[in-house]
Amino acid sequence: MNKLSSIARWAAGAMVCATLFSQTAFAQEAPKLTDPEIASVAVTANQIDVEYGNIALKTSKSSAVKKFAQTMVNDHNNIIKQAVALAGKLGVTPKDNAVTQQLLEGAKKTKDNLKKLKGKAFDKAYINNEVAYHEAVISAVKTLLIPQAQNAELKALLVKVAPLLEAHLHMAKEAQAKFK
Amino acid sequence: MKGIIKTALCICCIWIAITGCQPSAENTAPVSDTVIISQMKFTPDVLYINKWDTIVWINNDIVSHDVTEAASKAWFSDTIQSGSSWKTVLGKSADYFCSIHPTMKAKIVVRE
Repeated sequence: MNKLSSIARWAAGAMVCATLFSQTAFAQEAPKLTDPEIASVAVTANQIDVEYGNIALKTSKSSAVKKFAQTMVNDHNNIIKQAVALAGKLGVTPKDNAVTQQLLEGAKKTKDNLKKLKGKAFDKAYINNEVAYHEAVISAVKTLLIPQAQNAELKALLVKVAPLLEAHLHMAKEAQAKFK
Repeated sequence: MKGIIKTALCICCIWIAITGCQPSAENTAPVSDTVIISQMKFTPDVLYINKWDTIVWINNDIVSHDVTEAASKAWFSDTIQSGSSWKTVLGKSADYFCSIHPTMKAKIVVRE
């Protein structure tokens, strides 16, 4: 049992490090993004958290973690719907780009690691990742996507999303504190 | 001259009668009090009401919320979709929150 829990701790730590490293998609010198590329980053970033949430709903046995995960799935799906509707209205097709690709690569590693975990080790790893992920996304939205968005409606949607992300981060940190 | 003064006095009396009949602010009880849900906040976060006022929560946010009495869940809404509203009548002060986003908190204070 001690060996298993130490493996789980190592795996969780490695997963968080991989995630944080992958989060440097945002931390490197700011790329220049067009509105279609910003739309792609926004949709992808939200989709990734929906996928993390779906893994948690399937894996976690904790009602509190499941409730948190369901909120993430519902809220981020809501944002995706609004972003896609806006892109349609503006005639903008989200365009894949290096930032999107780095997000997806990082997310694949995180999901693979989460899928190896169970029980409390999973819950802790999932919530820790939610804290790190939301911090990275908030930073990207505020320092990259909002400043570079050209279209006023796209910019306005991103501005509206920022408080939601902050609230999610706050909720994730409160959940994280319960593991200490 | 007398005619002008009489007319002026009449106008003054009518004016006083009109302004005197207008209800004062203290006599105007609001039909309902409103809380706006937007940017993951309840605004105002402290709402002062008269006992048995109707309170309306309007969700102007981009995601769904709800309102739940904090102490004992004595009253709560179903999910309030973006663009929708919910109302209730309250006779007692209460803290409340959004059970979907529990970091969103506010309170209702009934005036004595």
